[in-house]
Amino acid sequence: MIFDEPNFSPGGDRYITVEFGNEMNLELNFKAQGLAGALREAGTKGLVESAPCFASLLVHYEPRDISYGDMVTELKSLISSLGSTNDLELDSRLFTFETLYFDPWTKECIDDYRKKINPDKEYDPDFVARLNGLEDRHQLMRVHSGSEYWVASLGFWPGLPFLQPLDPRAMITCPKYNPPRTWTPQGAVGMGGSASSIYPVATPGGYQLFGRTPVPIWDPDKRFDAFDGDIVLFRPGDRIKYQPVTRDAYDAAERKIKDGSYIYNIVEYQKFSVRNYKNWINKLDKSERF
Amino acid sequence: MLEIIKPGLETSIQDFPGRIGYWDQGFPPSGPMDNWSFRLGNILVSNDAGAPGLEAQFMGPTIKFQQDSVIALTGADMMSKLDGESIANWQSIAVKAGQTLVMGPAIKGSRGYLAVSGGIDAPSWLGSASTFHKASVGGLDGSAIQAGQVLPVKAGSGKAGRRVKDACQPQFSSDKKWQIEAVAGPNDDWIDEAGHAQFLATEWKLEARSDRTGYRLDGPDWTFTEKATDKPPENGVFPSNIIDQGYPLGAINLCGQKPIILVNDGPSMGGFICPYTVPSAAFWKLGQIKPNEFLCFKKISVEEAQALRRTLDDMCNETSIES
Repeated sequence: MIFDEPNFSPGGDRYITVEFGNEMNLELNFKAQGLAGALREAGTKGLVESAPCFASLLVHYEPRDISYGDMVTELKSLISSLGSTNDLELDSRLFTFETLYFDPWTKECIDDYRKKINPDKEYDPDFVARLNGLEDRHQLMRVHSGSEYWVASLGFWPGLPFLQPLDPRAMITCPKYNPPRTWTPQGAVGMGGSASSIYPVATPGGYQLFGRTPVPIWDPDKRFDAFDGDIVLFRPGDRIKYQPVTRDAYDAAERKIKDGSYIYNIVEYQKFSVRNYKNWINKLDKSERF
Repeated sequence: MLEIIKPGLETSIQDFPGRIGYWDQGFPPSGPMDNWSFRLGNILVSNDAGAPGLEAQFMGPTIKFQQDSVIALTGADMMSKLDGESIANWQSIAVKAGQTLVMGPAIKGSRGYLAVSGGIDAPSWLGSASTFHKASVGGLDGSAIQAGQVLPVKAGSGKAGRRVKDACQPQFSSDKKWQIEAVAGPNDDWIDEAGHAQFLATEWKLEARSDRTGYRLDGPDWTFTEKATDKPPENGVFPSNIIDQGYPLGAINLCGQKPIILVNDGPSMGGFICPYTVPSAAFWKLGQIKPNEFLCFKKISVEEAQALRRTLDDMCNETSIES
């Protein structure tokens, strides 16, 4: 449900959790990101930072500058001044990622898991396609690459985005690996539950894997201007689109990444209008698949 | 310049308060686990309280000084010796070029700190020199210090013979039991009355599989309210599962039935409830407790936790020093 009034609760001496509801619903994330933006703009004294998640916002404050009670009052006043979620217009960059679906590296990773941990593990793309009533892995690629994805939050590992498809016709779900994998290639594209992601670096993981992008989303050596001095590429509220490419195109992109000449495909002029978005999805037949 | 002869056990460059402002990108603050001892060390050698220094864990490093300097050791007693002579914690000491400092095993507490006048000259990664080695970020090159490395030091104005007043030094437990303050929330209403009573009555043992990411506690199972069992399915299958949420630093995170205190290098979000949060003023104790010792939690209010923090900050000050 979406709560009539958000729930405020303390996290020790310097955090407040603002909970907007207890279901997976983009509306709740829009509220959290709207409040995060309003906090930034208001420049509230004592605000250190905030971090939106799917259905809540974590606020970090400095208790020397503002009390818990005063921060809650400030948050309530910002929430009421934001009004309806429909009125939110959020800054949102659009990133396009060249992606090789059913690539040999995630295949090798899945094969290794089958050999060492679970010989019965079905090849991830076939498993996810079957579970979601799709014809085959090729339709999975059409469905998965058919939608823009919303960066609802970042975490688990620095820079790892938790993505939700914005097009309901691309909504697919699948369980995570149990037990998890001990390794995953950097740039692997996959999903678990209803969230999908890109692995910033090689880490253990539990998502079903079905592709790989050569384009880094983690840049500690500051090689690419697209990171704007940051180490991780994304911010909450960004959007991502996967562009299926051939092995040749993948290799060409990888060469450019190696020599530093790769141009990131980023569109920065748009705002995300919650009202326009809702009007659009209300017109769709959500049972359709690409 | 500090020449590293032996690195010790994941000895790392840290500064205070660390990498703040990147929680929404999943970056933890890192920084010294016991920031009380860390800050006093810097003040002893006339640095800013947060200047980059070394955090040694359980087994300290061996370091050769390549220039005359003033240093201070604080935190855990690591039986430190300068050219074979024992030297005491909590005071500033002059060292000569060519002298060797050996920080040994931690015999009281877990983490020892070395402050050098001027501070270690390490690059700033997102505003902080703190090492977060799991992601290869911070320090000189993203990792803990290594044998053969030479750490540059900035020019400083420290003087020998300064000492932290006895009353201003943290007191480490001598009976393996640590009283740790905890504030209820953010998800305290998922635990029933019996669960709360049990949490506060239990002596929780710190498991060996604990590090700067999380402190795993061994103890009884938790019991829950209806909120944990009667919830939409997307919250997950375990009673302690919740739709992924941001985690406060210090959260006592209930992973299945296993409480894990999320500390300086911990995750920013995840799908488990956090019934209690350890406030910032109690972090120094987490930095000094050893595996297989016990944590007893004392519930305090938000306001009490904030008052403790003010008291601690006031102690990390020139007024705590005598000459």
